[in-house]
Amino acid sequence: MRSVLIYLILFSVLGFVEVNGQDMHHQHDYKQEALKAGEVQSGHSLYHLDNEFITHRNEKVKLSDFAGEPVIVVMFYGNCTQVCPILIQDSWRLYSSLSESTRETVNVLAVSFDTENDSPEVLAEYAKDEQLDISGWHFVTGNDTDIRMLAMMLGVKYQKDSNGEFAHSNLITVLDAEGNVAKRVEGLNQPMDEAALLIESVSKNSDETK
Amino acid sequence: MIRSQTNIFTFTIITFVMMMLFTPEKVSSQSVRVLVPAGSFHSVLPEVEGEPIQVDSFFMDETAVTNEQYAEFLRENPEWRRSNIPPIFTYDGYLKTWKSDLEPDYEEVGENRPVTRVSWYAANAYCSEQGGRLPTLNEWEYSAQLLGIEDEAEMNRFSSKLISWYSGIDANNLPEVGSTGIETTTGVKDQFGLVMEWVADFKPIIADEISLDCGTVGRMQTLNSVYSYAASIRYITRMSFNPKITTGMVGFRCAYDEPDRSDQTKHEVTL
Repeated sequence: MRSVLIYLILFSVLGFVEVNGQDMHHQHDYKQEALKAGEVQSGHSLYHLDNEFITHRNEKVKLSDFAGEPVIVVMFYGNCTQVCPILIQDSWRLYSSLSESTRETVNVLAVSFDTENDSPEVLAEYAKDEQLDISGWHFVTGNDTDIRMLAMMLGVKYQKDSNGEFAHSNLITVLDAEGNVAKRVEGLNQPMDEAALLIESVSKNSDETK
Repeated sequence: MIRSQTNIFTFTIITFVMMMLFTPEKVSSQSVRVLVPAGSFHSVLPEVEGEPIQVDSFFMDETAVTNEQYAEFLRENPEWRRSNIPPIFTYDGYLKTWKSDLEPDYEEVGENRPVTRVSWYAANAYCSEQGGRLPTLNEWEYSAQLLGIEDEAEMNRFSSKLISWYSGIDANNLPEVGSTGIETTTGVKDQFGLVMEWVADFKPIIADEISLDCGTVGRMQTLNSVYSYAASIRYITRMSFNPKITTGMVGFRCAYDEPDRSDQTKHEVTL
């Protein structure tokens, strides 16, 4: 923090503001303009978690980059061959049941808690294998603390056993445009109608406010 | 000539900024980090019977984070001050005994007493800022049992003391950090006798499956030692927490993967 502050002061004094500006602002195509990063209004928004994650496209993202439209969040890990594919398929089932126009705005974050093995490269491979390396889908990882904080906010528990496998909750969460938890779908192979309806309504709402 | 004037100007500014930022550094805000070498221990959790749990080496703060250290963190991270922290990260009791956002009210809470009434989220943010993290449950427990007590009678005496401490932590009269006289063989102080401490994964999956009551204590593994009874109380208390709680008996310390570097050398590296 202190070193960042020093650099900020030095750069602005020396007139390197433009260079610094490029470093500071990651531009993403999917970044929504309706609610700018940092403008988190609700006290219960997950977007208060201001830490950086990294996607399977090797992009650095903050949760608040996705503000403005609903987000589907699921936590999983890549080496999980039994349950996680179902969890990811459940997320796909929810996503694909949305109208075409809604799908264009909704983002899906599949967040891995296996921070040791699931590098962006591994996640890119995973996305390809699952045929989900598509726009709007982001396979994400980060450092242990940030992942643990996100999991805690969602109510996802996970725990590594001695074989390197994880015991974990099966949970799909829908965030509204401001990052509040709007819907939690617990368990595998659950009906997604309610979650889909909710996303459609949230998505429409945010269209109207534009 | 204009160029050299600019250089002098730049130099002056840099010197000024450095002086401003480094001079007020206080010794009290630095933490001493202790190496905890790799090893293994037996958990009291019912699910991990038999096999000892392996723990890699790591560094951990010698003492719990103090009010003064936490105030220093808040000076640089306004988003975690009492008046700014959003409710998703904490209940209302966050630092409630402090006079104001940045004043711990040292008469009441003491400069070198452990900071308490901080949520798990805030503890994480603090440790991240120090280049560390909260210790994992297994790291904390592994370190805690490195007491070097070999005599069974002595262990039993220590355990009885622990049990009475766990049943009555006086949140309003916490001692200063480093003052309990309880120290592990690697030099980590006050893991008992001061406050309960946050760990990264304080709510393992098993917390869902067991009811947190006296019956559960009975089902925890005994490990042939009275110590395990005190440990069971600790595990169960900790599993009953939720990440937003802000009680006066819970503080924290940080752990680190990287070797210790004093604040001084860190600054030299940064610049």
